[in-house]
Amino acid sequence: MNPNNETCVQRTRFVFNYYEKREWLPGEKPPLDDITKVKDVQPENLRYFAEFMHTRLNHIAEMMDILLKVHDDWAITGWKDHILMETESFDFNDSLNALKEHGYHDDEFVLKVEYRRKWGVL
Amino acid sequence: MGYVSSAKKPTTPSGGWSDLWKQEDYWAVWLGLTIIVLTIVFWSQGINFMNWIVLKIPSYSSYNTAISYVSSHKITLLTLYLFFLILFSIAVKALTGEVKRFLVGFTFLFLLSVLVSVWGSWDVMKRYNIETPLLALIVGLIISNLFKIPNWLSTALQTQFYIKLGIVLMGASLPFTLIVKAGTTAFAQATIIALATFLTIYWTGTRVFALDKRFAATLAAGGSICGVSASIAIGGAVKAEKQHVSIAISLVILWSIIMIFILPLAIKALHIPPGPAGAWIGTAEFADAPGMAAAAAINEQAIKTFTLMKVVGRDMFIGIWCFIMAFTSVTRWEKRYVGTKPDALDVWIRFPKFVIGFFVASIIITFLAASPHVVTSKVLDNRIINPIIELRNWAFIFTFLSIGLTSRLKDLASVGWKPFAAFTAGVLVNIPLGYLLAVVIMGNYWITVK
Repeated sequence: MNPNNETCVQRTRFVFNYYEKREWLPGEKPPLDDITKVKDVQPENLRYFAEFMHTRLNHIAEMMDILLKVHDDWAITGWKDHILMETESFDFNDSLNALKEHGYHDDEFVLKVEYRRKWGVL
Repeated sequence: MGYVSSAKKPTTPSGGWSDLWKQEDYWAVWLGLTIIVLTIVFWSQGINFMNWIVLKIPSYSSYNTAISYVSSHKITLLTLYLFFLILFSIAVKALTGEVKRFLVGFTFLFLLSVLVSVWGSWDVMKRYNIETPLLALIVGLIISNLFKIPNWLSTALQTQFYIKLGIVLMGASLPFTLIVKAGTTAFAQATIIALATFLTIYWTGTRVFALDKRFAATLAAGGSICGVSASIAIGGAVKAEKQHVSIAISLVILWSIIMIFILPLAIKALHIPPGPAGAWIGTAEFADAPGMAAAAAINEQAIKTFTLMKVVGRDMFIGIWCFIMAFTSVTRWEKRYVGTKPDALDVWIRFPKFVIGFFVASIIITFLAASPHVVTSKVLDNRIINPIIELRNWAFIFTFLSIGLTSRLKDLASVGWKPFAAFTAGVLVNIPLGYLLAVVIMGNYWITVK
């Protein structure tokens, strides 16, 4: 197929959640489990939360750096519980490869891919 | 789906309330309901404006008759042009901001629509069964395959926008009770055919032609659920490659255009009544706009049964199909590029929002029919429903011309033989199975749906 004959636009969306991961690795646990709606919260629970957030936010910042380095057209939106990075001008495979080359894997982010028609397409 | 400007623009954030004025689905709803409300307001004030602006070219045998008819209705045509231009420009301003280019492009499209309508009303065309929808498509195809379409015209060729507006207006001519009743039958019938077609394309694609599972699923969705909308939705849900989604879209369009010509010919050759014919087209055609062109080549009843089958029976459920496919993708297939999980919210995100306008339009007219203010159903038909139907028919002509003007057959055909063969296997199951269900088994039911 002629690569110029593309009939759709791809939108890649990376969701970097602050508090949630798709998969918790050995030694990790959801940071808010021992804090929210829990009686008798202990100081070490907060320390774990602080430590987790420090590491997690640094990871997110590094992943953002990597993506911004390989491509400059990203729409970045901040939410109370996640950062959303979106682009329509860079293939999702290339973004994934860049993250994986730096040791970041699927459990660190949520990737969503959406397509829409190019103009005039039925 | 949103408008895509031809100019290169930076990526903007998605989602949120801005979808209400950034997506063409919503604009089809806003404009469609505006037209319906305006028609009711004018009627309630005793103003005959909507009946006056809609122009239906009568059948003629001599060109002098046609020329004198158009000459004597110049002001009406100009008003109709301005009516559409103002409404569409508001939408284009919000969607792309390219109003100036749209104005030039739409002017050309409108003039071509008038020309095609006049030509399609010639008794010679009718004698050879070349109805206006087919003529619009042929004229568009000839132009786009012989000449390069300029950018100023491309801006006005918004096939999806026009067909969605037409479908919202279509809601005004279908009582809500009929939609609920016939919709259930349509859903059951469409689901049987969609499942059989999906599995055929998927199985042929993966087992016979060794295509990637995600590619095969994207192809199968386009051939069975609801055309391009399904291919792009499933393609995203299973994270198919961009090129594979493009191929699936090209195949859907290619087969849709072929079917526009084959189905009406087959229906006439087999003497199938309009009701079952529309229902058959509703399962056999892959996309809304080409399906509407094929149904419009039959008659108004075929348009209604087609809409019930395609929009209510198939389009509405795309979100649920996506959810199932996304679930299958992450649970049954190899874990490639996971990091995401099926989200029930996607069912709503994928829902074609223009269908809401179709339902609201139907509910408005159904309530109006039951209202004591409307004297007779004849008044409702003549003063409200008929002008809306005529405006809808103009939206359809813009659609059919846009299909032709945007379809370069050479480009569509360059997809590789394996995906073409897998898709064609689905077509070979879909067409006879649709005939069996819509015409042979349920034919007597669809005859009664008017």
